[in-house]
Amino acid sequence: MNDQEYLCLLGPTGAGKTTALRVIAGLTAPDEGTVHFDQRDVTSVEPEHRNAVLLSQTYSLFPTMTVAENIMFGPDIRNVSDRDKEQMLVSLLDLVRLTGRAGSYPRELSGGMQQRCALVRAIATSPDVLLLDEPLRALDARLRIDLRRELKSLAKTLGLTVVHVTHDQDEALVMADRIAIIRDGRIVQVGTPSQVFNEPASPFVANFVGQSNFFTGTVVSSGPDGSEVEDDTGHRMKSRPTDVPVGEKAVLAVKVGHTRLLKLEAAKLQGRIERMLFEGRVVHVDVDVDGVGRFSAKIPASHGGRYQVGNEIGVGWNRNKAKLFPYPEGGLENELRVD
Amino acid sequence: MPLVEMKGVSKRFGKVVASSGIDLRIEDGEYVTILGPSGCGKTTLIRMIAGILEPSEGKVLIGGRDMDGVPIEERDIGYVFQNIALFPHLNMLENVSYGPIVKDVSEEERVSVPRRYLELVNLLDRMSMFPSALSGGEQQKVALARALASGARLLLLDEPLSALDARVRMDLRYELRRITKDLGLTVLHVTHDQEEAMTVSDRIVLMRNGRIMESGSPEQMYRAPKELFTANFIGETNLLDGVVVVSGDDRTLVEVRDGSVVEAQPSGFEPGDAVVLSVRPERVHALNEGLKAVVRSMSFMGTYIRVTAEADSEDILEFDIPVPRGGDFNVGDNIHLGWSMGSALVYQRPPGGIAEAVKLE
Repeated sequence: MNDQEYLCLLGPTGAGKTTALRVIAGLTAPDEGTVHFDQRDVTSVEPEHRNAVLLSQTYSLFPTMTVAENIMFGPDIRNVSDRDKEQMLVSLLDLVRLTGRAGSYPRELSGGMQQRCALVRAIATSPDVLLLDEPLRALDARLRIDLRRELKSLAKTLGLTVVHVTHDQDEALVMADRIAIIRDGRIVQVGTPSQVFNEPASPFVANFVGQSNFFTGTVVSSGPDGSEVEDDTGHRMKSRPTDVPVGEKAVLAVKVGHTRLLKLEAAKLQGRIERMLFEGRVVHVDVDVDGVGRFSAKIPASHGGRYQVGNEIGVGWNRNKAKLFPYPEGGLENELRVD
Repeated sequence: MPLVEMKGVSKRFGKVVASSGIDLRIEDGEYVTILGPSGCGKTTLIRMIAGILEPSEGKVLIGGRDMDGVPIEERDIGYVFQNIALFPHLNMLENVSYGPIVKDVSEEERVSVPRRYLELVNLLDRMSMFPSALSGGEQQKVALARALASGARLLLLDEPLSALDARVRMDLRYELRRITKDLGLTVLHVTHDQEEAMTVSDRIVLMRNGRIMESGSPEQMYRAPKELFTANFIGETNLLDGVVVVSGDDRTLVEVRDGSVVEAQPSGFEPGDAVVLSVRPERVHALNEGLKAVVRSMSFMGTYIRVTAEADSEDILEFDIPVPRGGDFNVGDNIHLGWSMGSALVYQRPPGGIAEAVKLE
């Protein structure tokens, strides 16, 4: 990780995200390997000497202390002069919009306010690294959307280096400079949001970060312009160029958001609209393609009126939006499991 | 038959009013979500229907029958909780069998009914496993199968997906709707998640401070919300302060804070009225002319890019551009923003200010 970087550690429950965070903080010792801060090996350094602060999922504010007392509790701050403390408190409270609440107790605050209070308490100790474990999980969905932006801009304004653990791929896409995707204790891909979205390293990543449709078959042609896969019912679909050799079993992944509804005549995959669900800015459409399976697409809500459940329709994609992977060893279903 | 009615229902806990003047009617076979922020009274409402709480005032009717004094076990209701509540010492089949056994059905049905519902949630192959061996999403599906196996025609779901991972939640939303629609059940689903509500519901009932704010189909609530709070809570929106200049049958012209005049839907307001405009980010476009603004940040959202700009009117405006056009914009660029007349809705400016009117907590 680079200085002042905002990194999201993204993965399903049980993937090992919190363990990774605790290893960085020094709360869990690694069995193997080392942890470095600014090229200094800190693997055997006690947590309190690492200057990394971990904010756990439960905010753990001191219930008998006011907001102001909670924030100024940090060990580094207690040695600061009273006047500096006062100034620091004013600016920190202002930063997270809790100025009117300095004298309140945690139980008098809403979930969002408690979260912000815990956050500035962590920031007040000027940590080199801020470790956030699902910092928005306990909040209402709509509030979470607003706080994503606030938290990110706060981190950028203060020039913090942040590791943020989350199971929420939308949260990671919006907030991260880079995303590390973790599964079964391993990092499977690290990249910018657009890299992990557009250049997934595996079918799992393709489906976990933005849903994907899958088409399984055998590679029948491969060249610099792209490849073609054919399934056992004779459908032939195109993808970007691939390393998977001709004759091998492969799975093609294309994002639901990149899947298009086409005129029946123009499409190789033809099916029937099973379901349409209004989702606000888009309408989610499921198309059942005979003998192949279900393909989902998101169409702009303004186009929703053009289609109806039961319509015969084609499905397709721009070949550059489709990526081909070797067929996963344990089977596709197992590869795509999200919990 | 399981038509649910609440007539003038209120619930007080000491001085705290959790529900106030609730009038609600749910038709047979309807999938209704009760949506609202934490503490809005949505869980209290569903608990009164279940019979876990008694109303302080008003009536709850199920199938036309007054439920006053009718205990929960006689209300013929399936209930799924936020915290997965399976019996840890029973396997999946036994967990799902619990309802039918209590109901004293025939020997044959005791086996066939639970199997049928486990199959419905695609977990028949896990029937001899114990809860600890299953993932959270699987456990919640078993809890659903158990609620369904009781044969109830009315299903109450209290934040059924909140404890699960975001990605699991997304898949289960579709499952929930498919299963309950296939069975023709009446569903009341409580949630704080507006995306979830939009995906699963026939109708959304939005609550705030113990009252029903507004109710309608997901499309109505998104496209033509009656209240400013609804516009902001269901989907994101841009809100701009303004004053009506011209109010016609075909459009409203509104002057925003930098003196520019923008178009909005016809509204019935009078010139001089203080209003708030609401425009969804996907309806705002960068144009050759329009509101002057400066690009402040850009954020990759997968299939589109969300651009945040600060207008000369000091309003923050967000809008979406296709990913391939991302290179056309840079932070600091001066741009012009606009929208089609029909994309902007007009609301009376709330006396306490916009922030107070749309506050989420």
